[in-house]
Amino acid sequence: MGGKRGFAMIGPLLVTSLFTAGLLGVSVTGPSQTDGTVVSGRVVLTAGSVRLVGAPPAAEPVDMSADPYCREQHTSPVMDQSVRVGSTGGIADVLVRVRNAPTDTEPTGADVVLDQTGCLYGPPVVAVRVGQTLTIRNSDATLHNVRVTPEVNRSFNVGQPLRGIESKRTMEEPEIGIPVRCDIHGWMRASIHVLEHSFFDVSADDGSFTLPTLPTGEYEIEAWHPILGAAIQTVTVEAGSPPEIVFEFAAP
Amino acid sequence: MADVRGRGSWPIFSVLTLGAVVLLAASPANAQEGESLYEIGCAGCHGSDGRGASPDRIAFDDPLPDLTECSFASREPDADWIIVAKAGGPIRGFSETMPAFGEAFDDTQLQAVMDHIRTFCQDRAWPRGELNLPRPLSTEKAYPEDEAVWTTGVDAESPGAVVNEFVYEKRFGPRSQIEIRVPFGFAPSSTDEDWGPALGDLGVGLKHAIAHNDRSILSLVTEVKLPTGDVDRGFGADAVRIEPFVALGQILPNDSFLHFQGGFEFSTKPDVVEHEAFWRTAIGRTFTSGEFGRAWSPMLEVLGSVDLEGGSRVSWDLVPQMQITLNTRQHVMLNLGVRFPVTNADQRSTQFLAYILWDWFDGGFFDGW
Repeated sequence: MGGKRGFAMIGPLLVTSLFTAGLLGVSVTGPSQTDGTVVSGRVVLTAGSVRLVGAPPAAEPVDMSADPYCREQHTSPVMDQSVRVGSTGGIADVLVRVRNAPTDTEPTGADVVLDQTGCLYGPPVVAVRVGQTLTIRNSDATLHNVRVTPEVNRSFNVGQPLRGIESKRTMEEPEIGIPVRCDIHGWMRASIHVLEHSFFDVSADDGSFTLPTLPTGEYEIEAWHPILGAAIQTVTVEAGSPPEIVFEFAAP
Repeated sequence: MADVRGRGSWPIFSVLTLGAVVLLAASPANAQEGESLYEIGCAGCHGSDGRGASPDRIAFDDPLPDLTECSFASREPDADWIIVAKAGGPIRGFSETMPAFGEAFDDTQLQAVMDHIRTFCQDRAWPRGELNLPRPLSTEKAYPEDEAVWTTGVDAESPGAVVNEFVYEKRFGPRSQIEIRVPFGFAPSSTDEDWGPALGDLGVGLKHAIAHNDRSILSLVTEVKLPTGDVDRGFGADAVRIEPFVALGQILPNDSFLHFQGGFEFSTKPDVVEHEAFWRTAIGRTFTSGEFGRAWSPMLEVLGSVDLEGGSRVSWDLVPQMQITLNTRQHVMLNLGVRFPVTNADQRSTQFLAYILWDWFDGGFFDGW
């Protein structure tokens, strides 16, 4: 193609390229180099899941008889939440994170809330960024204490005797699997993860997770569960080819 | 250690008219609020009766204190317990199982809870911990205690004898205390000037608080010193001495306090050791680093004594000093001071004085750091 005829074809070709990129679910940001010869794309890493291989452990019912208030909040037995497996084998509450994440300039975002409702933590796993505010709320009309025992960050134990009371904390160091417990209601257990970047997610009830957009490159993706353990996969992110990752854990 | 709260001064002479304990009664509205707040914030672990919740109602193994036990509860000042309730157990070197309630209750509410907790001990014979004022270097406290004190004194001028005294105090009953004193040191012999160790005259004492209220405490004390000391090295008197005295502790405004001790020392050999009258006063104030931090109590002691026979001059000493809490639990303390002879200075040396005090009822020496 040459001359005026070649030049006239650039417009339609550009439109076609953009349309095709849209069909593939590729979001393309503007050129990253000023010379205009290379277009760096950011590809959405989507559709990951965490699955259990083998029969899921039998969940034990939680004995709430020690506090009549807690027992009265539930019309059916409450099952232990240590390992939550969905009907299709998906594992909830797994932290999925990028171990070699790129430099992250995204702001830390709004408060993350750890609530206590019906004498259970909701959600049982929260993930925050370093310096991001964690709001711990008591939505019950009974006394809870929230005892957080990190190994790196500062520990605390706050009493929350009133419905609606909130305590706000920030963690200043990255740390995975910080235990949270109530010393009055011993079945209440949760975990806090603190990360120094935003490239993480906690798997949903069906085991699915979605990580924020990543530049092209090779990444180590880790799935971490306090009981099931950890698994790492190396993933290559290429423009126009969003990978789907499946982590599988053996039943305990 | 007592946290001195001065809510208004009481004239010293009024203490002498006291024959019974007077309670500061909480208003009915405050009492109801305190009980209500205790129920929602504390009873889940400490039990509605203060004896501790049943083990099947809690999820930890730490032993719970019995808040109805007067021997334990009465000796703790309100301020110390409120600090722990506000900031959590670790603020005073206790277990982190005790949560912090400072975000749930304000200071007024915490005091109301504290007032309710005080109703668990019904025996008013036990003097309150607020009366356990900072201990001076020389003046005896009126408050009966469970503590051990090691005091050291070094003469600043020749011959520079080093004098130590170990005191062990043990309470019994609500108002009484027995103590044992063991002086020892290092001094030159009077015959050949050789330095060597020496044991002093052992002392045994009995203290009884005869009156107390929320601001003042008055005790009668009798000590007997036995002639076990090394006379040659100046550590013994070669005579039994009996020392009856009164001791007063007074809370003053703005975290200030006053001690007074006055009495006599009677010797079984007045030709060897003359009968003596003595009086000691200490005035001081407690400061705290921040809201929860280390306590500093500068004090000034004025000591006086006179032999009762022979027209002796009164000996006066001034002892400026500073007591500092050393550990987080604040049950180990250091006091540093200097004893300056104001009169009869040609016969007595300036002394550098120090003690380490361990309130052993509150835990082991190495606990709570």
